[in-house]
Amino acid sequence: MGMFSESVEVACTPEGRPESLVWAGRSYELCAEPVRWFERREWWAEEQRAPLGSGPGLVDSEIWRLEVRDASAPDQSLTLDLSRHLRSGRWRLLRLHDALAGQRRPASA
Amino acid sequence: MSFTHLHVSTAFSAHYGVSWPEELAAAAAADGATALACTDRDGLYGTIKHLKACMAAGLDPIVGVDLAVFDDDGDLRTQVGGRVVVLAHGENAGAGYRALCRLISDAHSRTTGKAGGTVPAAVTRAELASRALDPQTLEPVLTVLIGPDSDVGRSMGGRRYLRPRTLFKQWLDAMPAGTVTAEVVSQLSAPGEHLSTAHAVRMLKLAAEHGVPAVLSNAVRYVAEDGAATADVLDSARTLKSLPELAGEPLLQPNGQAWLKSSAQMLELGKEIIHAAGFGAADLKSLLAHTEALADRCRMDPAADMGWKQPVVPEAAVIGIEGDPLAELAARCEAGITRRFPGISGSSAVEMRARLEHELRIIDSLGFASYFLTVAEVSRMITDMGVRAAARGSGASSLVNYLMGVSQVNPLQHDLIFERFLSRDRATLPDIDIDVESAERHNVYRKIFDRFGTERVTLMSMQNGYRARGAVRDAGLALGMEGGDIDEIAKQLWRFSARNFREALVEKPELKEFAGRVEQRDFTGNQQLDLLVDLTERLDRLPRHISMHPCGVILGDATLLDRTPVQPSGLGLPMSQFDKHDMDPMGMLKLDVLGVRMQSAMAFAVREVIRLHPSKADVVAAGNHQPGPDGSGPDYIAEDGTIDLNAVPLDDEPTFDLIRSTHTLGCFQIESPGQRELIGKLAPREFNDLIIDISLFRPGPMKSDMVRPFLEHRHGFAPEVFPHPDLKPVLQETHGVTVFHEQILKTFDVMTGCGLARADEFRRALGNEVLENQVEEFFRREAKRRDYSPAVVDKVWGTLKAFGSFGFCKAHGAAFAVPTYQSAWLKTHHPEAFLAGIWEHDPGMYPKRLLVAEARRMGIPILPLDINRSQAEYRVEPVVDGPDRGKLGIRLSLKGIFGLSGAELKRIVAGQPYDSLADLRARTRISKPSIQRLAQLGAFDSLHRAVGGNTNRADLVHHLQQLQTRTQRKGAEVIEGQLALPLGDVELTNLKGGRPAPTLVDTVRAELDLMAVDVSAHLVDSHRPLLDRLGVTTADQLLKLRNGTEVLVAGVRVATQTPPMRGGRRVVFISIDDGTGCVDSVFFHEAQEQAGPLLFSTRLLLIRGTTRRTGPRGISISASMAWDLSRTDTLPFPAAGAGTGLGGGAGTGGDAPEGPPLDMAPGALDGIRRTLAITGFSG
Repeated sequence: MGMFSESVEVACTPEGRPESLVWAGRSYELCAEPVRWFERREWWAEEQRAPLGSGPGLVDSEIWRLEVRDASAPDQSLTLDLSRHLRSGRWRLLRLHDALAGQRRPASA
Repeated sequence: MSFTHLHVSTAFSAHYGVSWPEELAAAAAADGATALACTDRDGLYGTIKHLKACMAAGLDPIVGVDLAVFDDDGDLRTQVGGRVVVLAHGENAGAGYRALCRLISDAHSRTTGKAGGTVPAAVTRAELASRALDPQTLEPVLTVLIGPDSDVGRSMGGRRYLRPRTLFKQWLDAMPAGTVTAEVVSQLSAPGEHLSTAHAVRMLKLAAEHGVPAVLSNAVRYVAEDGAATADVLDSARTLKSLPELAGEPLLQPNGQAWLKSSAQMLELGKEIIHAAGFGAADLKSLLAHTEALADRCRMDPAADMGWKQPVVPEAAVIGIEGDPLAELAARCEAGITRRFPGISGSSAVEMRARLEHELRIIDSLGFASYFLTVAEVSRMITDMGVRAAARGSGASSLVNYLMGVSQVNPLQHDLIFERFLSRDRATLPDIDIDVESAERHNVYRKIFDRFGTERVTLMSMQNGYRARGAVRDAGLALGMEGGDIDEIAKQLWRFSARNFREALVEKPELKEFAGRVEQRDFTGNQQLDLLVDLTERLDRLPRHISMHPCGVILGDATLLDRTPVQPSGLGLPMSQFDKHDMDPMGMLKLDVLGVRMQSAMAFAVREVIRLHPSKADVVAAGNHQPGPDGSGPDYIAEDGTIDLNAVPLDDEPTFDLIRSTHTLGCFQIESPGQRELIGKLAPREFNDLIIDISLFRPGPMKSDMVRPFLEHRHGFAPEVFPHPDLKPVLQETHGVTVFHEQILKTFDVMTGCGLARADEFRRALGNEVLENQVEEFFRREAKRRDYSPAVVDKVWGTLKAFGSFGFCKAHGAAFAVPTYQSAWLKTHHPEAFLAGIWEHDPGMYPKRLLVAEARRMGIPILPLDINRSQAEYRVEPVVDGPDRGKLGIRLSLKGIFGLSGAELKRIVAGQPYDSLADLRARTRISKPSIQRLAQLGAFDSLHRAVGGNTNRADLVHHLQQLQTRTQRKGAEVIEGQLALPLGDVELTNLKGGRPAPTLVDTVRAELDLMAVDVSAHLVDSHRPLLDRLGVTTADQLLKLRNGTEVLVAGVRVATQTPPMRGGRRVVFISIDDGTGCVDSVFFHEAQEQAGPLLFSTRLLLIRGTTRRTGPRGISISASMAWDLSRTDTLPFPAAGAGTGLGGGAGTGGDAPEGPPLDMAPGALDGIRRTLAITGFSG
C-alpha cells in the first residue's frame, strides 16, 4: 500500500456517488459498490485558521473506497481510497491498496 | 414525512454540547420538523430554554437526559458501564416528567457537589427500572434508548458476538416491558469503527433478534458541521488533554458528523444502514415509524406536563395559616398599621387605607397572597434568628411589605409606586430580595430548609459560561501550548467578551504585543496563535459548569422535587439544575437571600455597643442620643441597651452633619471617591436626598450628564425647568430632572392617562427596538389628544427615550439608602463600635488599612496586639492608662496575622490568659514562626513589661530567631509545634539585652508585612521630613485652599478606578491617603501621558495638580503630574531659595531645610510585597 496525495478526476452520479475516474492519464470504471465514510483531519496542525462559520470540512474529509478496473486491462482490479475535499470538491488519491484489493478494512485508519 | 431528532445535546451539556437551544429549534423547524428533543448530559440544564425555544419555533418539545449507568457487574459506586438516553413520556399529567426529575436527582444523590469528587453522576439499572413505571398506574412513563455509548454499544467493537447479546439481554430482563428501545446511530465513521454504519447495523440486528423496537438518531452535538471543531475543543477541555494527545488515544469524536441533519439526510442515512444490513424497504419504514411513534409518545405539553408558567407557593398550612390566605394577609397588614402608623388619622389615614386596598386588590387578582405571606414568614424567621434582614429592590414599593415588616421604607412617604413592583399586567412572581448579614447567610439557608422542609426548598443554580480568560486557557490547552505562555496571554485579557477577541486585538493597547505576535505568524511559526484566537472565540459564553447562585433560594410546595432535578451544591445543600432564567417559566418562587457584609458589620457594632454599655442610660450617654419623650432616651434603645436600628428615625441631624462632612469612609454606598465627591456637592439634608444621591450615582445618570443640571437646580444656580406645569408634581423632588423609574411611570400616566400598570409596561419597552416605536406612537397620539403642544411632546418623549434604558428604580434607591443612613448613624454616635465592625467584616471597597487610618484620624486609639487581650475578633475596649485614658479604643484581633492558622488562633483564645511564653507554648503548641511573628507585632510586650528588665522587643525577636536556627541545625527529628524544646523557665527575664529597640518605621513595616495594616503609626509618617521638604499640602489643609490652586499632595494609594466615561476617553481616578485624610485626584488624558507607567504601578505617590472645589465640603485634585515617592532621586525638590513656590502658602516647604536631597531613611513600605492588601490595587 502506498500513501499519495495525487489529484484524481472523478465523475459522479447525480446523487454524488463516483462512477468513473481518470488517474494518471488512464480511465477506470467502478467494478464494485463503493464505500464511503468520513475521516477526521488533524485540523489543528494542518490549518492556519478555524474561525466560527468555517462550515463543513474543517474537522473531517469524505473518503471513498473504490474498486476500479482499467478499461484496457479488465482482469485486474485496483482498490483506491480517494478523499473529496468538502470545501473545494476536489478529489485526491489517498491510498492505493494494490495487494489488498477487495478488503474492506482500511489498512491505516 | 419529517424526521424527529430524539438525541440532542445543547450547549448546556457542559463541555460537550455546542449549540444553543434556540439555534437547534430554529434549524429543526426550518427543516419542517414538528418536534425536537433536548437530552443534555447528566441533567435538565438546557431543558427550560429548550421548551421556550420550541414554543417560539412552533415545535413540540421532547424532554430527556443523557445519563451514565453504573456497571451492574462492577463496583456500583464508581464504575460506569455506559451512557443511555432516557426520554420522558408526555401527555400524562406530568408523570413522565416527574419520573425524569426524580431519576436525575437519583443520579446526583451520591455525588459530593465538590470539584474533584470521585463518584460520577450516574444511576443504577435498578433505579432506572423503578422510575420507568408510574407508581400509581404502573404504566411506562420513561423510555430508555440503548445506543452506541451504552454498554451494549461499546461492546460491539471488534467481532464479539456474545457479549453485546448478553448485555442487551440484561437490560431486557432488568427493565419493565415496553421501556427499552434500541438507538441506531451511524455517523459514517470508517467501516467497523465506533459510530460507523456497520456499528449501526449490529445494533439494528440485535434489536430485531429480540423483537425490540429500534429508532434512528444522530446523537447530535451541534446544529451544523461548523460546530465540530468547537466540539473537539470541548472534548479537550472536558478531558484536560490536548487535541494531539486525544487524537493519539484516540478519544476524539471519529469525525465531524454529529450535527442536526435534515430529514432528507436522515432518510438517506436510514437507507444506507438498512441497505448495509441487507434489510428491505419495509424495515426502513419500520425504523422511521418507530422513531416517530416514540417522538409522539414523548411530546410534552409544557403546561399540563411540566407546569409551565403556573406559580407554585408553599401550602398554606406550611406557612401557618388556615383558611383564606388573602384574609390572613389583610389581617396581618391591619396589625402592622398600629405598629407602623401609630395614631394615623385624617387624610393621611384615608390615603394609606386606599393604598392598602389597592395593593390587596391586585395581590388578590393575581392570587399571590400566599406568596406575600411566605416572604413575610421567611423574613420573620430570619429576624427571630437574631439576624439583621432588610428587603431590597422593588419590593420596597409595597405598603403590604412595609406593614408586614419585610421592608423598612414607607412607600407613601417616598412616593414609591406599587405597579413598579407588581401589577395585573405582569403575572410573573415578583422578586423580593432580602439582605441578611453575610456571616449568617448559610445558617439562614439551613434554617429555611428546616422551616419549610427539604422537599419544598432547594438552592438555585447559576450557569458559568466561558469568558475571555477561561476560553483562552482552554483553547491553549487544546492546542497543546505551554501553560506559561497561555497564562501570560490570559493575564492580559480583561473585561471583554471572548467573542470579540480578534477585534480587541486591534483596539486594546494592552494586547498590542500579543497582536504583534499573531501578525508575525509567517516568520516564526506562530500559526498556533491565530488558531488560538479563533478557538477562544468559539468557546465564548458556552456553559462550563453550574454552581450555587450567590443568593437564590427556591421555595415550593411538596411537589417541588417533582418539578426540578436537584444535585448537591458545594455547600452540601441541594441545588436545582435550573437557573434564574428558568424560574419564571417554571412558576418557581425564588427568594434572593443575599449576604451583605455591611449588615454583619452593623450587627457586630450593635453587639459591641451593648457589651460595653449594658443599659439604656449607658448607651444614651455613650452615643450622645436625644433624651427622648420621658428624658430617659429614645424608644429605639431598649432597657438593656439594645439598639433597634430599623426603628431609628431617619432624620438625625448629627448623622446628616457627618454625611455632609464627606468623612463617610466605611458607610454603605457613599464611601467611594466618586460618592464622596457627589455627597460633597449635593450636601444631603434629609433621607430623600440620600435616595436621590444613591440613584444619581449610577453609570447611566453619571454618563448622561443628569447630575450637573440636577445640582445646579438644587443649589439654585439655575432656575428649575419643567417641560409642562402638569409634570411639576412628578419632577419637583428632583428639580425637573428625571431620575427615577417612578417618574417615568407618572409622566406616562399624566400625559396619556394610561394608568400606572400600563405605564410600567411602556417603561419596560423603552430601549427595545420593536416595541419602543409602538410606545412612541401611543404616547404622541394620546398626549396630543390631551392638548399637549408638539414641542412639549417632543421634549418629554426625548427624555423618556433617553432615560428609559438606564434609569433607577426609586424603591431600589430607598432600600439602599436605609443601610446607608444606618451605617452613617452608627459612625456618628458609636464610631468605635462601628469601625470595629467594619474592620471585622471588611464590607467596603478599600483596603482595611484605610479604615484603620480613619480611626486614627478620628482620634480613636488603636490598641496593639496583646497575647492576653486580643481576641479572635476586633473588640472595643475602654483605655485604662496613658494619654488616651477614658477613651474607647479598638483592640486588634488575632485574626488576619499572616501565617497564624485558624486552629492556632482558637487555641490561643481558649487558653487566655498566659503568664509566660513557656505557658503559651505549653498550652497552645503554636508553631515557632507564629510565636516569632506575634513577638514582632508586640503581642508579648505586656508580658515583657511585667517582668521588668531592660530588654526590648528586638531582643526577644532575636532570641526567638536564635532558638529557631538552633533547632533547625539539630535535624529534622524535632517536629514543629511539639513540646520537645528545652526552654528556659524564665525566658523573658533572662533575655539577653543590648539590641536597639525597633524604630517606629521597623514596627510599622512588620505590621504591614504581617497584617497589611499600619497600626503604630501611619505609614506615610516616616516620609514626613521628605514631604515637608517637597512642600506637600496635607489632605486636611486642602479644603482651605481656593479653587484652582496648584499643590503637591502625597500619600499611599487607596483606590484606583477607571470608570466608563462619556466620550469614551479613559479617565483615571486615584485616591491617596496621607494620614490626615484622603485626597482624590483625577488624571485626564494629558496627565496620564505625563505620569506614564507610574499611574498603575506605584504605591506611594506624589501628585502635582490644581484644586477643584466640588462643593461646600468637597475638594479634589486635577492632576498634572505624578512621581513615585520612594524614588527620591526623581522628585521635584524646590530649588534652593525658591521657598514656597508651590502650594500657595499652605505647604510647609518654606520651612524645610534646604540643600541636596535627603539621604532617606528607609520607609515603612520598603521590602513589603503585599501591594494588593495595602493599596487595594495590584497593577
